[in-house]
Amino acid sequence: MFKVTNNMIKKRLLIANRSEIAIRIIRSAHKLGMYAIVFRSDKEQDALYLKFADEIIDAKDADDEKPIFLNQQKIVDFAVQHNIDLIHPGYGFLSENPDFAALCIANNINFIGPSPELIRDMGLKTVAKHMAVEAGLPLVPGSEGPIANAQDAKEFADKIGYPVILKASAGGGGRGMRIVEKPETIERNFKAAYDEALAAFGNGDIFIEKYLQNPKHLEFQILGDKHGNVIHLGERECSLQRKHQKIIEEAPSASVTSKMREEMGAMAVRFAQKIGYYSAGTIEYIMDEDGSYYFMEMNTRIQVEHPVTEMITGVDLVDWQIKIALDEKLTLKQEDIKINGWAIECRVNTEDPQNRFSPQTGFIDKINFPQNSSVRLETGFLSGSIVTPYFDSMIAKIIVHGTDREDVINKTLNALYNFNIIGLKTTVPFCIAVLKHPDFINATYTTRWVDKVYTPDMLENEDDEVIAALAATIMYASEYLQLQGDIPAYKNDALNVWVLNKRLNY
Amino acid sequence: MGTSYKYKRDASRLFIAVRDNGKRYKIYIPRESNPVIDGNEKEIDFIEQDDFQYTFNFNDKQFYCELVSRDQNKAVVIVNGVEYKFSLESIFSYVRRGMISTGDDKSSANNIVAPMPGKIIEICLHEGDLVNAGEPVLTLEAMKMQNEITADCDGVIQKIRVNEGQSVMKDELLVEIQSIDV
Repeated sequence: MFKVTNNMIKKRLLIANRSEIAIRIIRSAHKLGMYAIVFRSDKEQDALYLKFADEIIDAKDADDEKPIFLNQQKIVDFAVQHNIDLIHPGYGFLSENPDFAALCIANNINFIGPSPELIRDMGLKTVAKHMAVEAGLPLVPGSEGPIANAQDAKEFADKIGYPVILKASAGGGGRGMRIVEKPETIERNFKAAYDEALAAFGNGDIFIEKYLQNPKHLEFQILGDKHGNVIHLGERECSLQRKHQKIIEEAPSASVTSKMREEMGAMAVRFAQKIGYYSAGTIEYIMDEDGSYYFMEMNTRIQVEHPVTEMITGVDLVDWQIKIALDEKLTLKQEDIKINGWAIECRVNTEDPQNRFSPQTGFIDKINFPQNSSVRLETGFLSGSIVTPYFDSMIAKIIVHGTDREDVINKTLNALYNFNIIGLKTTVPFCIAVLKHPDFINATYTTRWVDKVYTPDMLENEDDEVIAALAATIMYASEYLQLQGDIPAYKNDALNVWVLNKRLNY
Repeated sequence: MGTSYKYKRDASRLFIAVRDNGKRYKIYIPRESNPVIDGNEKEIDFIEQDDFQYTFNFNDKQFYCELVSRDQNKAVVIVNGVEYKFSLESIFSYVRRGMISTGDDKSSANNIVAPMPGKIIEICLHEGDLVNAGEPVLTLEAMKMQNEITADCDGVIQKIRVNEGQSVMKDELLVEIQSIDV
């Protein structure tokens, strides 16, 4: 089924990314007979991904304002110097930057992704929505373009009804975003969102739409080639988010029937075909409590959560991204795509779920990953690695495959119980709490779950607490008992922790 | 016979761990055998130990502990990725600070008084020892019969007011016991 052609062999593929996704791309590059080349950033000199590459380019970015992965000109200059054929941008960083894609192409480097024009169009939400409407996709009721001023915002909101959400056209990550519950506050919120958007993105365009109270986030994976063939690979549900960022994803979604899957998938394919999309891409939908769904946006990159789709379809999305970039024809037909079982991905971020997910940086003393045939682990870290403040906090993804949803939930919990890390706090206990919660088990969770339902005491359990009390006591006792040696009233051995431990172990 | 008691004499091995939410654990770490937590012996095994790190096995599960910080008697411990804060006291400082209810009637109820006139034959424990409810504290001979006088609570022997061989009157205070039932 899989052919390595002369067209691929010994091509030089540069990865403009780091950590687990760099390793993931190296795997595909090697499978296709290519050389994988990566950057060594001075901000993360001993990163694990460096060990997997065939060649390393020293980025010398210690004195640069931004790390190499964000420095378009420098990446392309290095690429030219090192005779690079293709650049894979991964996710984040420059993966959805149309200027970077164009710069690559202008320097005769094959950018792995869609055309710069489409990256630009999809990045501008109002443009993307306009194109979606033309392809017949439903949109959340809202303004067709940017709203001119606070007064217009109020008039529009009065028409579609509250609550409404104000969003920056160029926005992302929650910036330039405001939820407005009542008419009295809309003007003030509009000004705030405008200022924030202008400061963050250099573009103050704000649009307005109806705010869904308890939505689900669904997205369809598509693959398209440069010959007009497009298929979809089913949906992922990514409703479990904190701070508007996904933390647990599953595929398929329990909220999508096979009829809906066909309908939504066909819509996604139609859209991609109409705009002439190629490479891997994702059509995001938001689904209301009554099951009605609306187009949100299109992501033009490989996504963090792509493995859940790979697990249930058996299709290697990164392989296809590379092959498509080399003009290969998509040989998969829609009817070849069969959904097999269920998959869940848990993101392991070095964040403190007991303290508003505040990021943790520093040294990982020890890390033990679950190892099991149903577990796929993607990580760029190991014992002794350092989590720097320069990059994001995701250190690993645990992806688990099961025969059905119940099976995969149990297997994922089991994998998480067998994961342990000493040195930094992570989202693992949070993922355990989610997977055990009835809202997840019943698949009724929404994107508001963390804000509305989650409390840090869900992370605790009685056995852990007892053990914590014991560990704290042993630590205290070892010192206390030594001190007591000086007090004549009580006769004691001077004990150290080790001796105490041995005795406990008796 | 003494081995069947959960508390084994040495009261300096008994601690109170109080969580930041007020939840209390009474933890006894014996010289040998399993720890006693809130009066129940727990099958907790030590698997591994490193600087500031312990791994336990309990109920067939692994528990990875990391001691994060320690300030005076306060300790922060991470167990399986979740942080718990405790303050720790020895049973003595706990008693001294009056944190165990020592309402007079209650504490005197735990003291041992002579149930009949007689002679102290043997005192089994020392001041500062831990005693289990029902454990013999001393032997009192009266009318040629030896009677074992037992403690009626788990506690610490505070003061022994008599000596072996001494004759005592009915209702005379023999031993003061501080209950550790917190």
